[in-house]
Formats: sequence, structure tokens, C-alpha cells
Amino acid sequence: MKALINVGVAQIGFANQPSVLRTILGSCVGICIYDRMKKMGGMAHVLLPNKIGDGKDEKYADTAIPILINHLLKDGCKKEFMSAKIAGGASMFKFKSNISLGEIGSRNVQVAREILQKHGIPLMEEDVGGSIGRVLDFFMEDGRMKVKAAGEEKLFYKV
Amino acid sequence: MLTHVKNRIESIINNINQLPSIPEVASHVLNMVNNPDIDFKQVAAEISKDQALTTNLLKLCNSAYFSKGKEISSLDRAIVTLGIKEVKDAVLVIATRTVLDKVVMGYDLTKGMLWQHGVAVAMMAKKIAMLTGEKARADIAFTGGLIHDVGKTVLALFVQNVFKDIMNAVENQSLSFHSAEKEIMGFDHQEIGEKVLEKWKFPEILKDIVRFHHQPFESSETNRKMVSIVHIANSVCLMAGIGIGSDGLFHELSTEAIALTGLADVQLESLYSEIPELLNQTKDIV
Ligand SMILES: [Fe+2]
Ligand SMILES: [Fe+2]
Repeated sequence: MKALINVGVAQIGFANQPSVLRTILGSCVGICIYDRMKKMGGMAHVLLPNKIGDGKDEKYADTAIPILINHLLKDGCKKEFMSAKIAGGASMFKFKSNISLGEIGSRNVQVAREILQKHGIPLMEEDVGGSIGRVLDFFMEDGRMKVKAAGEEKLFYKV
Repeated sequence: MLTHVKNRIESIINNINQLPSIPEVASHVLNMVNNPDIDFKQVAAEISKDQALTTNLLKLCNSAYFSKGKEISSLDRAIVTLGIKEVKDAVLVIATRTVLDKVVMGYDLTKGMLWQHGVAVAMMAKKIAMLTGEKARADIAFTGGLIHDVGKTVLALFVQNVFKDIMNAVENQSLSFHSAEKEIMGFDHQEIGEKVLEKWKFPEILKDIVRFHHQPFESSETNRKMVSIVHIANSVCLMAGIGIGSDGLFHELSTEAIALTGLADVQLESLYSEIPELLNQTKDIV
């Protein structure tokens, strides 16, 4: 059955073909990983780049991405068939560079790329940065990612 | 500027019946609580004039966010146990729900998004007020946060029609979204929100919060800190994607507002990182 599954802030969602994972992003980054053979995948919605202290692992790129990968491996996905796409990481339109909160979007993107690379998951496409809010849909039938932002839609097909 | 759009918006704000309404009791309660010689009995009597509101209020007062675990069985109990300001905030949550809990075209907010945004910004603003020595006015931060974007509900269809022009102004003239709204339509959602609050007979400080939440340093000096608190709460919630729409993050984050509240970088970052927990709390209300 085709379902639309909403993934909230600091959550990780999983789905099979033909379902769709959806999330809404500001400075957060959505990391989508797809196994093209099993036609299943998962999406993490992270708030911050690195875990410090004792926050929930799902909030941070460096702890959420390994959870996402391991869950998929446990469900029978194979690393050689997995690939990633990311979206989000926007920043406030105008802010002075001395406000570190303003840099969170780009730091999220940076660390998400690094962690994916560290785990050997190729990053196929990304739609990041700027000041737009993004509605991200991740389709399990073919792993495509749809980004709706500022009234326009973009599609990303590479898996 | 598109004069025909401006004229149509003007005719709406000049015709009070076309602006959204809330139960009269809510405005009365708000102004009674604002008065230093407030009489609790009178407030309870005023609320009980509206039966539907009273029923919903008791339910809300027993939610985890407001009750803090205490059982509330009557209006009098609610006022004594929670305090008059908390009860006032709860009244406002109930009173503004039908105005805010709807689809907001143009800004691309599906049903519930603007409502959740208002509630989240309210809770965040209250939290910031407590952190920055404004405990006595934390209830004002809450109410201001709740309704700061009410103007969007009035502008929705206009924004939908002229969205491309607004976005072009943002991109080509490097304007914040609210400035682009004004550039294209002659009004921004802050000004319209202020008109709505005039209709509702809300106090000056709340009008200032709504009117200047994207430009806190243009508000009067007396109200500037409260406006700044809501400005920051709004920015943090938008960054986390809470109620983010077609206007995205095309807004300014004011360094001066942050300095005025005295919030340090680490505090701001932890407010942002605690958004998931705050969202859990909103579930009681939304
Ligand atoms: Fe706003
Ligand atoms: Fe807002």
C-alpha cells in the first residue's frame, strides 16, 4: 500500500516501495538513503551537525546517519546498492556573521557530506543552502527526491 | 507597487467585518489581566459568560503544558492554581485557534502549520522571557508569539496572486520577504496583523510585537525587548522548519535584538536544539 509518511524534526523514517517519506526543512538537513535493488530507504531529519553532551542521537548528523545506515543494513540492504541525496541547510536571509546560529545550515550540510563519505555512501545529488524552506518528498519506487520550495518543484533522479 | 492590489487590501482593512474575529470575552479577559487592580472574581465571571470557551478552557488547563500535573476542576481552581496570567494565555489559545488553524494559501502553509507555528513560537518566546529576566512578562511573550503572524491569514490570497512579483523583489532588490510584501502590495503581514489586533482591542505591547516582529528595533523603546524576544523565538522556530512556508527564511535575524536580550550563542543554539522537546509539548495544545 502506498503511504505518505511524515518524518518530523529529529526523526528517522523508513519505507518500502511504493511509499513516500516527507519532511519540511529550514536550516535542518534531510538525508535520504536508498537501496536501488531492494527499493527501500530511509530519511533522517537532523537539526545540528555534531553531537555534544547527551542529546538524542537523531538530532545530529554525525549520530543519526550511522543509525540510518545500520537500520537499512539490518533490513537486508547492501552498501554497494545504497546511495544518498541531501536537501535543506538554509540560512536566515540576513544576519551578521558573528551570530553562530546563522551558520548552522551550512555546517549541517558540510558534516552530512563528511559522514556519508566516511561510511562509503555515495552522495548523488543535493539541493542545499539559500534561504528557502523546502518540502522534501522521497519516493521509494525509484529513489527520486522531489523538492518543493518557494512555489517551485525540482526533481532529482540519480540513485 | 500594484495599486489595484493595494486598494483591495485597503478596502479589507477599512471594513472591520472582513477581518478575523475572536470571542469578545477573550479581549475582555486580556485587558482585565493587563489592569493592575485586577479582580480574580470578575475575570472568572467574565470567562463563564462564554460556555463553550469555559468548557474548552478547563480541558486545556488540564493538559500537561498548563496543568503541570495538578487536577483543575473549576474556573476558580484554575485561576488560583495556575495563576491569572496562565489562565489568560489558555483563554487566548482557545480564542485564536479558529483564526489560525487553517490553510494559508500563498504562504503555502497546509492546515495546522500556522497554528503549530504560533503555539511553538509562543512557548519558545515564553522560555526566552524566563531566561532573560522577563518572568513577570513571560505571559505577554506567549500571547505575542501565538498571534504574531495573524496578518498572514488576511494576506494569503493576495500573496498567492502576486507571489512571483514578491519573490522577484526579494531576489533582485535583496529585500526581506516582509519588505517585498510591502513593496509589491503596499502592506506587509505585520501591518495587517496590527489592524487585526486593533479590531480585537488588544493592548499596545501586543500590537508592537505583531507590527515589528521582523524589525524589532523599529518598535518603541519600552516594548523593544518583548518584540526582540518574539523576533528570536520566531527565527529559531523557522530555522527548525516549524511553520516554514513559501517565504522560507527570507527574513532578517537581528543582532541588536539578540544583544538586547543578552542571549549568548550557546543559549541560542540550545534553544534551537531543544525544538523537538518543545514540539512534544505543543502536542497537548494543537
Ligand atoms: Fe512573520
Ligand atoms: Fe512567524
